[in-house]
Amino acid sequence: MTASAGLASDLTAAPAARRVRRLRRFDLAGLLITLVTLVAAVIFAFPLYWGLVTTFKPEYEIVRPGVELWPERFTIENYVHVLTQTKIGLWYVNSLITSGAVTVIVIIMAAGAGYAISQLSFPGRRLFWWMILASFMVPIPALIVTHFIVLSQLGLINTLAGVVGPQLIAPVTVIIYKQFFDSVPKDFREAAVIDGANDFQLLFRIYLPMNWGVTTALAIITFIGAWNLFLWPFLAISSEDKMNITVGITQVHDAFGVQYGRDLAVAMLAALPVALVYLIFQRRVTQAIMLSAGIKG
Amino acid sequence: MLRSRRSEISTAAVLMAPFVVIYGVLFVYPTIKMVHLSFTNAPLIGPGKWVGFDNFARLWSDRLFSTAVWNTFYFVALSVIPGTLVALLVALGVNRLKGWLQSLVLAAFFLPYILPVSVVVQIWGWMFDKDFGVAQYAIAPFNGGQHLAVFRIVPLFIPAVAFVTVWWCLGFSVLLYIAGLRNISSEIYEAANLDGAGRWTTFRRITWPLIWPVTVLVFTIQLILQFKIFDQVYLLATRPDSTMVMVQYIYKQAFQMNKGGLASAASVILFLLIIILSVLQYQLLRTRGER
Amino acid sequence: MSAEAPANTGSVAAATAAGAGGGAPHVELRRVTKRYGAVTAITDLNLTVEKGSFTALLGPSGCGKSTLLRMIAGLEEITAGQCFIDNVDVTGTPPAKRRIAMVFQSYALYPHMTVRQNIAFSLSVAGRSKKIQNERALEVARILELEPYLDRRPAELSGGQRQRVAIGRALVRKPEVFLFDEPLSNLDAKLRVQMRVELAKLHAELGATMIYVTHDQTEAMTLADKIVVLDKGVISQVGSPLELYNAPANKFVAAFIGSPGMNFVAADIAAMNGRTASVILPGGRTAEIGVSAGANARLAELGVRPEHLTIVDPNDPQAAFAGAVAIIEHLGNATILYVDTPAGQLIVEGEGDLDAKPGQTVGLRLSESHARLFGETGATL
Repeated sequence: MTASAGLASDLTAAPAARRVRRLRRFDLAGLLITLVTLVAAVIFAFPLYWGLVTTFKPEYEIVRPGVELWPERFTIENYVHVLTQTKIGLWYVNSLITSGAVTVIVIIMAAGAGYAISQLSFPGRRLFWWMILASFMVPIPALIVTHFIVLSQLGLINTLAGVVGPQLIAPVTVIIYKQFFDSVPKDFREAAVIDGANDFQLLFRIYLPMNWGVTTALAIITFIGAWNLFLWPFLAISSEDKMNITVGITQVHDAFGVQYGRDLAVAMLAALPVALVYLIFQRRVTQAIMLSAGIKG
Repeated sequence: MLRSRRSEISTAAVLMAPFVVIYGVLFVYPTIKMVHLSFTNAPLIGPGKWVGFDNFARLWSDRLFSTAVWNTFYFVALSVIPGTLVALLVALGVNRLKGWLQSLVLAAFFLPYILPVSVVVQIWGWMFDKDFGVAQYAIAPFNGGQHLAVFRIVPLFIPAVAFVTVWWCLGFSVLLYIAGLRNISSEIYEAANLDGAGRWTTFRRITWPLIWPVTVLVFTIQLILQFKIFDQVYLLATRPDSTMVMVQYIYKQAFQMNKGGLASAASVILFLLIIILSVLQYQLLRTRGER
Repeated sequence: MSAEAPANTGSVAAATAAGAGGGAPHVELRRVTKRYGAVTAITDLNLTVEKGSFTALLGPSGCGKSTLLRMIAGLEEITAGQCFIDNVDVTGTPPAKRRIAMVFQSYALYPHMTVRQNIAFSLSVAGRSKKIQNERALEVARILELEPYLDRRPAELSGGQRQRVAIGRALVRKPEVFLFDEPLSNLDAKLRVQMRVELAKLHAELGATMIYVTHDQTEAMTLADKIVVLDKGVISQVGSPLELYNAPANKFVAAFIGSPGMNFVAADIAAMNGRTASVILPGGRTAEIGVSAGANARLAELGVRPEHLTIVDPNDPQAAFAGAVAIIEHLGNATILYVDTPAGQLIVEGEGDLDAKPGQTVGLRLSESHARLFGETGATL
């Protein structure tokens, strides 16, 4: 192995020279790998860039042969058209409402249940815990038929509330809360109890505040998941007015035929909020992903 | 701790109530109903007659269903295996970077995962567009100079969708791999270096075995996730019946053919397949130390 | 049950002990038993704590002292028996209503709240107005010299400061009884001594009833006016520090109290003469040790504290033991010698300027009036 041969000869050289020689050998291969990684990142991000830059080109430029990395004539006419001629505003609002509702309800439900299972003893506690673990195994797409039936029985098909419903099944969130509450040292609980706090005060003034980071991370990831959902909103909503944005932009595609710039513009607008949320809260999103994978592991 | 049993139970009741209601209505009941429906010939909405295993027999002999099952397995194989390996390679590369450069590069790989599926489909539909897609410049040389409507050619469809899916979901696996790589203390690498191990040897005999648990985790999470595929396939398909996947089959039977019972039977099959995979995942992970 | 005798000793000692707070029982445990499933930790225990006293619950790990404290606090259920605070039966009362306050070993300061919020937490929970919360918190902070830190978070404070916040949280509730669960064990040695003095001052200032759990006998000896020594869930002895030191009721207490610990050697009782026993020591010498009336035994153990052994010439006829010096520890104010004798290794404490060398043969004279005999059951003869 050249490395060991090199090292052997290194040992006979003077210390400083030895260091330099070893570093240099190492650097070359390492540098190459780093370069490859950077190039790969650029190539990987290219489709995003390409889609984005296309939205700023006028349509005649888009359908021209040749690859222009920057618009010859930078324009926002695609966006103007989309914002004024489609129901994108409505879809934004719908997405905001449903995603917001899902996030709030899931967090409240999961924190409450997580706290109860973690800290209280009551009949059926173990049963509920097994139920949560079991609900992992049931794929939500397998339930679309019965979800549709149940929601139509409740008269909630084609309503925003109906879109929210099935999204409230979030076993991972409950499990994460339970684990974090479990890890709060008993001393805090006992001190607060002696101070006279009841369980609700314990939850809202001790347990939740001590785990704020978790709540933020879970809320963000729940929001993003709800925003991006396609299958269920697609099934539950039939009128264009009530669609969320992820479904809405596929309808634009059909209605207008092939207008590349506009189709892509509306997609970019749909992606903008979640992309921003990610870029701002990068750390939290990363944390949430690790937590949820930790559960499955 | 001294507290009245009654107050503890009533507090627990209040805190558990939302969960119980939601789970009862939206999980327990639908699951039971799904199983029940699979034995009836009900339409989507409305009651039906009991037909025993009739639906399952029909699925067995339905060519469309076997196509869907086959396509699903095919798709999963094409997306999960390459996805896992590529993610590892990317993670190895990204892990070497430091500071803001690492954050930037990581964001570049992770951002697609944040995007809604319809946006991803839109972008890649445009990339592969037969007339003006920029990817045609890379494809045409292999196709005798001709442009290729990638998503319209049936044999190419699943591989192409798998490709797009790998791009979409890579970030998730890269993240997990990076966490796993960070857990390997740098001292182990220093020791290996002193022992004279070169790059490839270090990878083969130190990194790969130590990262194996993450590999299993990444693989199985993606496996279960991709089995439920629907969105990309539905949105990109031009000849749905030839390129059908399982959830799509359920969709078609329930919402287009109005056969609630049959669709439920297919749901049950999907459900069972995923349970088997989940159990497999659990077993593989439990024995992870033994490799 | 052997618990009966020491249990009685508890209340009797309380009534007659000169060093005790002297007076009304404030906390009483009557025939208290604690079971965890199949394991019984404490059986039939009786304990009385006087108003205004500083009572230490002392013993090794697992002796049940923390369990007792937590039962008084209401954090553990009393399997059988009763607990009274100020003559009110609180056995079934939840902790918040018992008018007690507790300082935990880990302090349990809420990390996300400021010092002010930590101290005022119980008031906030009770719904008192912000004004009252701030007033009382300020009052307490003044007593504990925490004023400059009121708006800091626990993470920004030193160990000693955190301890004071924990005490402040207890003070603000104006409880009837203060409970301390090994509050000094997380501090380094110097700080521990400092805080000990502060706790003593606090007790003197407030005159409140304090029950203090510790495994450190120095803490108990210096702080408490009454010590309850516990051994595996049973009260070994109750008394003032000096009582326990000079008149241990059994070998356990004798060995536990005092540092360096008491020396024990096997002794053959040659004769019992009323209030003294003639014993034969290993090595052949004899001694006359005082025993209580009615004591009777053949084999016993002789206990003598290191400071009651003196170094003499090895040929001195009065020497009870003779042997070679193994190790010498110079402390400055005292010298500790480890001497190997036929009776085993004995620890001797002498003056700071004691002159001795390792390997040197020495004789040890024993102060008979300070030695004790312990019978087979461990009880003092």
